[in-house]
Order: sequence, then C-alpha cells, then structure tokens
Amino acid sequence: MTMVLLIEQILNGLQLGVMLFLMSAGLTLVFGVMGLINLAHGSLYMVGAFACAAVATATGSFFLGLLASLAAAAAAGAIVEMTVIRRLYARDHLDQVLATFALILVFSEGTRWMFGSFPLFLDVPDLLSGPISLPGGIQYPLYRLAIIVVGLCVAAGLFWLIAKTRLGIRIRAGESDRDMIAALGVDISRLYTIVFALGAALAGLAGALVGAIQSVQVGMGEPVLILAFVVIVIGGIGSIKGALIGALLVGLTDTLGRALLPTVFGYFMDPINATTVGASLASMLIYILMAGVLLWRPSGLFKVA
Amino acid sequence: MTDTVLSVTNLSKFFGALKASDNVNIDLHAGEIHALIGPNGAGKSTLIKQIAGGMRPDKGEVILNGQDISALDTAARARLGLARSFQVSSVAAEFTVLQNVVLAVQGHQNLGMWRAALRKTAFSDQALGFIARAGLAGREAIRASDLSHGERRRLELAMALALRPKVFLLDEPMAGVGLEGSADMTALLDDLRHEAPILLVEHDMDAVFSLADRISVLVYGRIIATGAVDDIRNDLEVQRAYLGDDA
Amino acid sequence: MQRETWINLAILLGLILVPLWAVVMDEPFTITLTTKVVILALAGVGLNIALGYGGLVSFGHAAFFGVGGYAMGVLASHAQSYTPMQIGALEVEGTKSMLIIWAVAIVFSGITALFIGALSLRTSGVYFIMITLAFGQMLYYFAISWPAYGGEDGLSIYVRNGFPGLNTLDPIQFYCICFVLLCAALLVSARLSSSSFGLALHGARQNAERLEAVGVRPFKLRLTAFVISGMITGLAGALFADLNRFVSPTMFSWHTSGEIMIFVILGGVGRLFGPVVGAALFILLEHWLGGISDFWQFYLGLILLAVVLFARGGVIGTLAGREVAHD
Repeated sequence: MTMVLLIEQILNGLQLGVMLFLMSAGLTLVFGVMGLINLAHGSLYMVGAFACAAVATATGSFFLGLLASLAAAAAAGAIVEMTVIRRLYARDHLDQVLATFALILVFSEGTRWMFGSFPLFLDVPDLLSGPISLPGGIQYPLYRLAIIVVGLCVAAGLFWLIAKTRLGIRIRAGESDRDMIAALGVDISRLYTIVFALGAALAGLAGALVGAIQSVQVGMGEPVLILAFVVIVIGGIGSIKGALIGALLVGLTDTLGRALLPTVFGYFMDPINATTVGASLASMLIYILMAGVLLWRPSGLFKVA
Repeated sequence: MTDTVLSVTNLSKFFGALKASDNVNIDLHAGEIHALIGPNGAGKSTLIKQIAGGMRPDKGEVILNGQDISALDTAARARLGLARSFQVSSVAAEFTVLQNVVLAVQGHQNLGMWRAALRKTAFSDQALGFIARAGLAGREAIRASDLSHGERRRLELAMALALRPKVFLLDEPMAGVGLEGSADMTALLDDLRHEAPILLVEHDMDAVFSLADRISVLVYGRIIATGAVDDIRNDLEVQRAYLGDDA
Repeated sequence: MQRETWINLAILLGLILVPLWAVVMDEPFTITLTTKVVILALAGVGLNIALGYGGLVSFGHAAFFGVGGYAMGVLASHAQSYTPMQIGALEVEGTKSMLIIWAVAIVFSGITALFIGALSLRTSGVYFIMITLAFGQMLYYFAISWPAYGGEDGLSIYVRNGFPGLNTLDPIQFYCICFVLLCAALLVSARLSSSSFGLALHGARQNAERLEAVGVRPFKLRLTAFVISGMITGLAGALFADLNRFVSPTMFSWHTSGEIMIFVILGGVGRLFGPVVGAALFILLEHWLGGISDFWQFYLGLILLAVVLFARGGVIGTLAGREVAHD
C-alpha cells in the first residue's frame, strides 16, 4: 500500500471518527447528566438526515437542509424528552432500554410511513463537490475534508460551551451532583430538556452530513448507534473528552483495519483466504479493541468520578 | 497478648491530602467488646471497611487469629469468620427473613443447583435458630423490606451469627432502633459477645459505656486514646476532641 | 396454591389446547405460529435466568440464539451437500440428527457465553448492557462477512432435521418436540431459582455487597448463570432455525436481542412463565397488528412504551401482584 493511499485512509478514519464524536457526545452527555441510556439516539440521527434531504430537495439548498436537520432533530429530541424520556430518569436501565427500544420502532416506522421505504438521495453541494489537492499530491474529496473540519469545530465549540458558559457549568454540576444543581435553584427539568435537545441536534447534524455520502434510509442510525456505544464504553461513559478520543480511536481502527488487514494477511496466506480472514477480522476489530480496553480499564479510558 | 483475636497494625489510607486512616493500631481480645468512638467524619466506617476487606489500605496489616488476611477479599475474610453489619442496614430486600438467613447459613458451600434451598432442613433449622437468637422469632416469613429499622438491624445480626463468626464488626447497630429498641439491642449485643468478640462502632454513648470493656477514640483518622471505659471518660484530650468538633 | 401457580397452569393448558384445536380444525398455520411462540419462549426462559434471576441486563443474547441457529445450519448444510467439514486435519461429517445438533448448539453457545460473560461481567450496570450488545454485533458482522456459510444471504436447509421415531415435517409432531423442550427448560429454571445456587444468585442481584459479606463471590455465580442462560437460548436458536429451515445473520442482530428481552419484560421479569406469556403476546400482536397495518411496528412501539411506563411488572406481575417469597 502506498503512502498516498495510507494517508487517504487515515483521513477517512478521521472523518468517521469526528462523525462518531457528534453521535457519542449527545449519548454520553445524556448519560452523564441524566443517567439515561438512550437507544433512540440513532433515530435522531435519522431524523436529521431525512429533514436535511427533504429540505434540500425542496429548496435546492444543502445548507438550508443542514439548518433544518439541526432544528428537526433538536425539536424531536425536546418533544421526546418532555413526553417520554423524563418519565424514565428515575427508572432502572432495563426500563430505559425497553422504552427507548420502543421509541426506535415508533421513529423508524413513522419515518417509513412518511417517506416510504426507498432511500432518499442527498447530493453533496456544488461548493464542496469534487476533489481537492493536498500537499504531497494527494487528491481527497473536498466534502469529506469539510466534514472533518466541521466536526472538529463543533467539538471545539462543545468543549468551550462546557468549560466556559453558564449552561456548561450547570451541565458539569449535574454530572457530579444532581442534588446540588437543584439546591442552586436551577430549573432541572428545563436543563434536562436542553441537554437532550443539544445532544439530539448534534446527532441530527451528523446524520445530515453523512447522508450526503451514504443513502438516507430508515434504519441508517442503528449501525452508527452501536458504534457510538462502543465509543463511549471505550472513552468512559459520561466523559466528553473520552468520547472524542474514543471516537477517533474507533474511526481510525475500523477504517485502517478494513484497508490494511487483508493486505497484511496476504503476506503469509493465499490471497483468497487472506481477503476473507482479513475482512472478517476487520469487521470485528473495534469490538476486540473495546474488549481489550475493558480488560485493562473496566470503566473506560476516562472514567467520570 | 495470647488472647488477641483480631489485630490491626499500622493501617493507613489516604485520599489525596485527606488522611482517612493514619497509622491505626487496634486489637480485639477474646470475649470483649471494644468500642470505637469518634466524631462524624473521623474515619470509623472507612476503618471498618478496610478491616472487612471492602477497601484496600495503602499500608498496614489486618491479622485474624494469627493469620495475615490483608491480601484477602471480602468474601474470603467472611469465610474466615469476619462477620459484619453495615452502617445502613444491608440485606436482600426482596427476600424474607428466613431466606436472608439461609443465604448466610449456606454461605459459599453447597451451592447446589437442583434441591430447593429452604427444603434443606439442615439449613432451615439452623437459620431458625439464629433468627430466634437475634430476637426475630415469628417473623421468618416477613419480607426484609417490610421490617422495621430495628428488626432489620436484628436480621443483620442473625446473618452475622450464621457465619459462625470469629469476630463481629458492627457499624452502628443502635442507629435508628429508637429508645425502646436500644435497651433490647444492648442486651442482645451483651449476649453476642459470648459467641465472638465485638468491634463496635457506635454513637450511642450510653450503650458504649454500659457494654464496652475498652474504648478507642478515633479523630481525623488517628487513634488518640485507647483504654478502659473510665479512663477514656475522664480523658481530657477526648473531651476536647468531642467538644471541639461538636461545638 | 398461589395465584401465580394457577396462572402458570392455565398457560401450560393453553399451550396444549390451542395446537390440539388446530389439529382438529386442520389449521396448520396456527400450529406453526404456536411453535414459534414456544421456541421464542424458550429463548426468553434462557434470558430470564440471567436477566430476571441474576439481574444481568444482557442486550446480546442474540449471540447465543445465532450460535445455536448456525450450529444447526452448518451441520445440516454439510449433511445435505455430503461434504465433510475440514477442521484442521480433522474431517467431520455433517448431520441431520436433531439430538446431535442440539448438543452441539448447547455446547457452542455455552462456550460463547463463557467468553462473553467472563469479559462482560468485569463491568456492571450500563457498561454491561452496552458490552453485551457490542459482542452480539461483533458476531453479527462476523456472520455477514464470513462467506463460507452464505454470508449476508444465510443458509437454506431443504429438509427439516430428523428425530428418532417422529416425522418432524408434520407440524404437530415438531410442535410436541419444542413443547417438551420448553417444559424441560421451565423445570430447570424453576429448580435453579429455588435452589441454594438460585438463592445466592437472587441475593447477588438484590445486594452484591451483602452476598460478599456472607462469603460468596458474585462473579462465579453470575458467570455460571450467564452460561446456563446462553445454553438455553442457544438451544432455542437451533429449534428456530429448524422451524424456518433457514439461518441468516439476522438471528445475531440486536433487534433479536431486543425482542428476546421484550418477551421477558412483557411477561414479567424474573417470573418463571414471564417469557412464555411475553412471547405469546408478542407473536399475537405481531400477527394481529400485521393484519391491520403495514406499519404494525409503529403500534407495537406505542404499546411497548405504554407497558414500560404504566404497567410495571409485566403481565404476570399485573395479574399475580407483588412477588411472594420464593420456595
């Protein structure tokens, strides 16, 4: 494998990583602040993608679509939080799992009802289409590079929000001591709705961004959700920093594994077997990574006290 | 001393700058009740936890009947006869009194998968004996979650008895039992000392003064005094520690 | 007798009368549907041992269901193509015998459960949920990317496997096999629950700290329960594959894990017959709602939400009231 291809794969891994971060950030925040495990987070990703595709098709503007994805996912998040999720905070994880699993069914079938079973297509905006030349003669799709940049900017924004703003202080207080924020006179149920909607908006944004390079279809959020679980388990549930590190680790491991393992096995196996074994192992690689991390640190890399 | 059953030597545990246990030495003789007193936050429960195996000390040893048990986990220490009660009653809430005590009677042995535990008469009979000894006769079929505070304390003692204890570690057994209950509990503890010596953490000073053979005073993780009841009662440093904290 | 015992007997009677009625009325589809209920109930009975008794919220039981299914698929596919398996230097013939297939399914799902459990039980709470989920997905992706046994398309088995003295292609005879296995699993589950082991396992769920204080380490108990649980669910997987004469990676998917969990919760967590009621209700809803609307899962989702939010304790919990002492 040439250096150029390797760098290209690393960039692909980064792109998957920042996208996973957008998903995991909401998941880990909601768990950290409210103690809720939300399987329906993937549905919010799907809502974002569909909203973006629908608005982009209707208006011809991808960027209006992106705004729509943020708005739709945040609104869906807020509504779900106020109607269902807030009844689950005091319940055990089993109830949370079942209720949010039920929400997935409602979201997925509801979307199929509205948009049909066929995938929607979302084109990369003209402004960002085509490849870009990077130093060293590497040609890389501009849109994917843009995803990396947007993702990193959002990550920076999120860190700033949590470190410097009043909302961030309340979120951190909520993570360390739920009784304390009540004592500080913060309207907890509003804080929870905001946190949930914020996480939903990030998931929706991720769905919209990825929708332009994959197809927009019902069920698209589920594989990503599972990857996001792996990310936050590796990073330590509740930790934003852990989510970022975990996301990049998972993105790079998965992408590079798929690209490199068949070749690596080719050095000591016949080519057909090498491809099979390499591809199978690559598809399991991140789970092996997760098992390894947990053997070493049962509460993830960055445990929240 | 030859009749020392439990001895804790040079035990230390730091949380950052906080010294939860600071070079603690304490021992327990056969047949005695040794009370551990001290103001809130002195590190009494932390010390009990380290002796029972729930928390690992930074340094120091715990020796039970001449055997160094410092490296063992909670379950292994319980099997050697280190029986404890918890500061906040800790029982299996959905189980009945009888089920809780059978759980302790069967211990880690004979965890068969086929015969019903409560139909093993050997288990049930022994359990009923411990229940009666702890003053809960007639309450066998009541769910633990439906017991009163005081009854739950007694249930913990019945479970401790079922371990055939070499040592009791009792963390505030009087807490929450009420005025009437505390007289009964005092009598019960006085009876239990014939079974095994008791290391007693307790805030109820009347109970401590009437039960204890010796008292140790723990302040800021350090034992500042150990001695007979009257010596401690008159010790100025002890009074200062209490007054200084409670004033 | 306690109320729950009567409910359980009524359920057993129903599982005998419904197929009997179907035979008399010549309704083979009803028999097949009831067979599906019984097999899925068996998977649930397995999960209930981990989830209900041990408090281990496994979101990855599809792993064992799938291993059981593929045990059947792999053995039967080699038998129907008359090609032996190559395991290293060893040549192993496939088989169409249910008894051998069950044994293989139970052993391999047990080994899988031992690995997954030994790793996952180092964690607890939400980590445990997510890790079991991830292990299930790992096997799912493995099944998809391994081309030797059909990859994404799965494997079709043309003739149902055989059982000595029975014609397994006759729906009611196959039903009887499944029903007897379910009864056996219920017996195992009941004995396990009331045994000394079960008492300690229930104790570990309620208060692990207390269990350690009486000298029992929860890890080994939980791992044992997890393995037994996986074995029963694996057996159900082999039967399910035989019912459909088809295996595919879907058996490994997290939707399968979710559904097995739903059977348990719908019926009543930790209740002996909970998974049976749950599976029956789920299949009935699927059948009934599926006849009303193409989007039946939408309504299923709403019903599940209502059950979680308003009917705690599942069907048996609602009918029989608070759980009374275990035997």
